[in-house]
Amino acid sequence: MRATPAVVITDLCKAFHVRRPRAGGFAARLQDFVRPHTQTVTAVDRLSFSIAPGERVAFVGPNGAGKSTTLKMLAGILQPDAGEVRVLGLEPSRQRHELAFRVGTVFGQRSQLWYQLPPRDTFALLGRVYEIAAAEHRRRLDALTAAFGLGAILDTPVRQLSLGERMRCEIAASLLHAPRILFLDEPTIGLDVSAKAVIRELLHTESASHGVTLLLTSHDTADIERVCERVIVIHRGRLLWDGAIADLRRRYLTTKRITVWSEAERLDLQLPGVRVLSSDAYRTELEVALDVASVGQVIDAALAQSAVRDLAVEDAPLDAVIRALYAEAEARRSET
Amino acid sequence: MRAAAVSKYVAFARVATALARRDRGELYGRMLFFAVILGVFSSLWRVVAEAGMPIAADPKLLVWYLATTEWIILSAPPVHTDVQESIRRGDVVCRIGRPVSYVGAAFAEALGLLAVRAPLLAATAWACAFAFTGWIPPLAPLAWTLPFGFAGAALITAMCLWIGLLAFWLEDVSPVFWVVQKLLFVFGGLMLPIELYPRAMQVAAAWTPFPAMLAGPASFVLRQSGAGWLTLAVHQAAWGAAAALAVWWAFRRARATLTINGG
Repeated sequence: MRATPAVVITDLCKAFHVRRPRAGGFAARLQDFVRPHTQTVTAVDRLSFSIAPGERVAFVGPNGAGKSTTLKMLAGILQPDAGEVRVLGLEPSRQRHELAFRVGTVFGQRSQLWYQLPPRDTFALLGRVYEIAAAEHRRRLDALTAAFGLGAILDTPVRQLSLGERMRCEIAASLLHAPRILFLDEPTIGLDVSAKAVIRELLHTESASHGVTLLLTSHDTADIERVCERVIVIHRGRLLWDGAIADLRRRYLTTKRITVWSEAERLDLQLPGVRVLSSDAYRTELEVALDVASVGQVIDAALAQSAVRDLAVEDAPLDAVIRALYAEAEARRSET
Repeated sequence: MRAAAVSKYVAFARVATALARRDRGELYGRMLFFAVILGVFSSLWRVVAEAGMPIAADPKLLVWYLATTEWIILSAPPVHTDVQESIRRGDVVCRIGRPVSYVGAAFAEALGLLAVRAPLLAATAWACAFAFTGWIPPLAPLAWTLPFGFAGAALITAMCLWIGLLAFWLEDVSPVFWVVQKLLFVFGGLMLPIELYPRAMQVAAAWTPFPAMLAGPASFVLRQSGAGWLTLAVHQAAWGAAAALAVWWAFRRARATLTINGG
């Protein structure tokens, strides 16, 4: 028997009506007051995908692509205009209360902690809100305190915590009621490199060990690569890509970067499809267009000129891959 | 309502009391402000009485009346600013997603704050009124003012909550608050008992919820008895139901058309 999908979205649509003030003086303002001029902005446009239980999925798109709107519809905060949404078999906009017990949300730029109070007080409150029995609450809190390293900060007012500490508390707070799905909207925004690494590790571990489904939006591709195995890319509310991160790389990776440390001071690698990015003494950095030249050809050419002390072959960063995807979508849009 | 559901709102109220206890500076500021305005107005009533102005009330009673109305006003938490900020910052999305009523939780938090403020400000009010008049009314009418004054402050809080919810549509709810607050001052009888108003003003005030918030509870001091408590209780319950309906309707409308910053 197949398990109920964690998330199923079919032809989901959502538009916002945004006020656009008229230009001009008092008359325009009066007109705006009497009959406001509104513009319809389509945030989500016939979006469809599904997520299996326990999957870790990155939900990616440029600003205004409709990621946060989709997450809020999944959490039952916003109501869809059209289409169908099912989360753990429930309809979020109609069964929000029931669903709330099974999902957790983390909004990186919003806080669910009481600013002046220690996290312990918020955790106690959330225990009541999610109707967790006292013994179970203690057990969950102890487990999360150990997993997230909160012991030293549990009784410190939130306003005295660093952003990284606060975010650990935010995620712990959203996991307190043992949700089956966690929706994360830019959970590492504003964090330093080491705090980001900690959050990514915690999310991955929590999901892998407890089977929690993750749906993560982020502009930081390292979040996507370290935490998720699948990526859904949307642009202007529409689906651009849905598949494994490795497949996305294979499909859109058109270049590789090769750095050669040679015995010879300079290398002359003027080959078709090869662009020299930088050339210093004993070090040459190249970009190879894979549809024109292969990595092997470039290495052979380098070896023919000099002994090679070291060599590094890197994929283009995921950022570049996703940018290429957006650019392709924009090009298609302008064609039509 | 199930016990678990009630306990959620009690938990919100308890968090707010913890907050109020931590944020004592604001409370002390209110107590100080209270002493200053009562000092000013008790001097004013004394001067008015000495000048023989035709005010049909004992200046001492008026000071105690004013102490009671100010106690109610100053005890009510300005919940509209919290709600407005929560909507502006988008924090409301974190709260809407929980298995608890957003407005119910906001009101419970405000009641928690009120529960800390009201007793301390009542003590301040009575101490100041005694210091400025050298007189204490009979304890029975004073005791009547406490539950009805608390209920009046709760009504003001519900009104502020409704004003705060207007932030879903308005960029700034302060103008609405200022207008409503001035109406409350005038028709609620903040400075003077409504019985001293011109007839037309009394009739107009009777059609508003404001006397049930201020003048009603404070009038026990003027009458020096608990007479009229049942009428006041009915008025407060009726306006409480109306406020609950208004808050529920506003939030329901807001949810249906919710547009949140950043999606």
